[in-house]
Amino acid sequence: MDEMEQRLVRCFSSVFPDLSAEQIRTASVESVPAWDSLAAVTLVAVLQEEFGLQISLMDLPDLVSFVAVEKYVRKHNSAS
Amino acid sequence: MNLVEALEILKKDAPENEHPLRVVLACGFTPLHLQTFLMAHLRKRLPRRVEVKTGLFGDLAGSLERLPASEADVLAVVIEWQDLDPRLGIRSLGGWRTTDLPDIVKSAIQAAARLEQALRRASESMPVCVCTPTLPLPPLFSTPTQRAGEYELQLRQLVGSFAASISRESSIRILNSQRLDESSPMPARLDVATELMAGFPYKLPHASAVADLLAALIQNPVPKKGLITDLDDTLWAGILGEVGTEGVSWNIEQHTHMHGLYQQFLGSLASAGVLIAVASKNDHALVEKAFERKDIILSKESVYPFEVHWSRKSESVQRILKSWNIGPEAVVFIDDSPMEVAEVKAGFPEMECIAFPNNDYQAIWDLLRRLRDFFGKSVISEEDSIRLKSIRGADALRESRAASGGTLDDFLQSAEASIQFGFGKQPGDSRAFELINKTNQFNLNGKQLSDAAWKTYLNDPASFLMTVNYQDKFGPLGKIAVVLGTVEGKKLRVESWVMSCRAFSRRIEHQSLQQLFKTFDAEEIWFDYVATPRNGPLQEFFAGLLGVPPNAGVRCSRADFREKSPSLFHRVEVMNG
Repeated sequence: MDEMEQRLVRCFSSVFPDLSAEQIRTASVESVPAWDSLAAVTLVAVLQEEFGLQISLMDLPDLVSFVAVEKYVRKHNSAS
Repeated sequence: MNLVEALEILKKDAPENEHPLRVVLACGFTPLHLQTFLMAHLRKRLPRRVEVKTGLFGDLAGSLERLPASEADVLAVVIEWQDLDPRLGIRSLGGWRTTDLPDIVKSAIQAAARLEQALRRASESMPVCVCTPTLPLPPLFSTPTQRAGEYELQLRQLVGSFAASISRESSIRILNSQRLDESSPMPARLDVATELMAGFPYKLPHASAVADLLAALIQNPVPKKGLITDLDDTLWAGILGEVGTEGVSWNIEQHTHMHGLYQQFLGSLASAGVLIAVASKNDHALVEKAFERKDIILSKESVYPFEVHWSRKSESVQRILKSWNIGPEAVVFIDDSPMEVAEVKAGFPEMECIAFPNNDYQAIWDLLRRLRDFFGKSVISEEDSIRLKSIRGADALRESRAASGGTLDDFLQSAEASIQFGFGKQPGDSRAFELINKTNQFNLNGKQLSDAAWKTYLNDPASFLMTVNYQDKFGPLGKIAVVLGTVEGKKLRVESWVMSCRAFSRRIEHQSLQQLFKTFDAEEIWFDYVATPRNGPLQEFFAGLLGVPPNAGVRCSRADFREKSPSLFHRVEVMNG
């Protein structure tokens, strides 16, 4: 697990404290009942704080799994 | 605190308490991260479990009007401009034409009146913490943004008047906007994107700043009671023994004005009932002379006692604490010498000991603000204004008794004491509430009451509240005792009984029981007595009255009391009996 992934897992863990690191890496809106709209907004805020990104809430519909979030953050983090 | 830190705090196990603090957070917008931050800041400040619930959003006044009294222990209300009129927010497209402005002000006045009524009603059953609008007003006014126009000023005046009006309620605490300005700059408050996309208008640092101050308001820390100050290079600039009484200074001309400001600040504390004493290694006669200077700002009448000699400061502090009859945890010690500060701190680890930052203007200014936080209180009571007088009186009484050499009966007979008993059940009696929650030594069981529990108790038709005011020829003590209980036919059940330590040795406790038997025509009083580590004086009283050390479930019959009570010499007056 590289540093970026570790930071992402930490972000997810703060929003979904009941998930293990292993569960986080496979987490998605479908598999995590606690991943509702409030959790999604909180996750975006946490990611913005952690990575210094400006994430538009318009992008929320795309951020539906750990894998998708990781891809998004890697793309925008390297661009910033 | 950032959001990740807040979430991490909330992940940790909360302390287990029987009764969590139940907070309702009411706001017109989606509370989202504000709720998270409020829970985290409360968790940091309070050693107990906290629940923060939120209500319906969008209609703040309506939410407050529908809030059941039993729902919470504390209500936190965050008002934003759109709660006064939706057109003052950015989610509404109701019109910003110049012709709309008078109507916006008019509807804001009506909304503020409705909010005020709802907040007053809520404050009857629980403490209410209120944050007035924190966000910038939108650019709807016709003036350029650097110029304040009539309608904008009317809106600001409305909020100021509204806050001033409700702040008079003892149960309503208003968040200080100046303090918020210091921690959250105006341009960094509104998050337009999350307001429009998620209904949450705050940037995260602003949400944390608001939550932090709300948590502090909810915590409502107990103010400290006394301040002990040094003199040389602290209360004034210069060493009195070296430069003489005219050589010490506290003025602008000699660049020693910050000492004058410090004196002025201590005078302000004294006028609010804070005890001020002097502990100085100095010549006593010189100090007396210095305090006779006409330009001294802190008068010697505001200071008691003066410990001026060459002994160790910790000995002075010990004597001052004894005279004040309070614990070191309630006192701040200030001295310009770090060595003296360390010596006192070693003797009294619980005491806040601060080195006076002599010659550092900014640091002295910061110290004054810090001291205001230590001593700040919401209400200045009658007792605050007579506290110093009554402590002087208590010392005079002790000295007078020691000098007279007569019996206690002789002494009390000549004390010209009068007691006023009050039986009005006033939920707004903040002094009675304060006594119950702060008195340790003469305390029936150490039980503390929340604001909500206090009000619920007094609303019970079977309950009674007896308050006790005392004065004698040595001065007034003010309201010094409270008895809380219920009437069950010819039996009284006393659930709380506290008396200030300033009132010991005057047989006020005996007179209080006699009055209870008389007022309620009671045959027996049952006490919810519990021994605590600190209620020794109460235990001694019961042991004296009963002839044996008290156990749980202490009872006293009228006949037993009549037989055991010593002679009582007070003049008694009963109010609302």
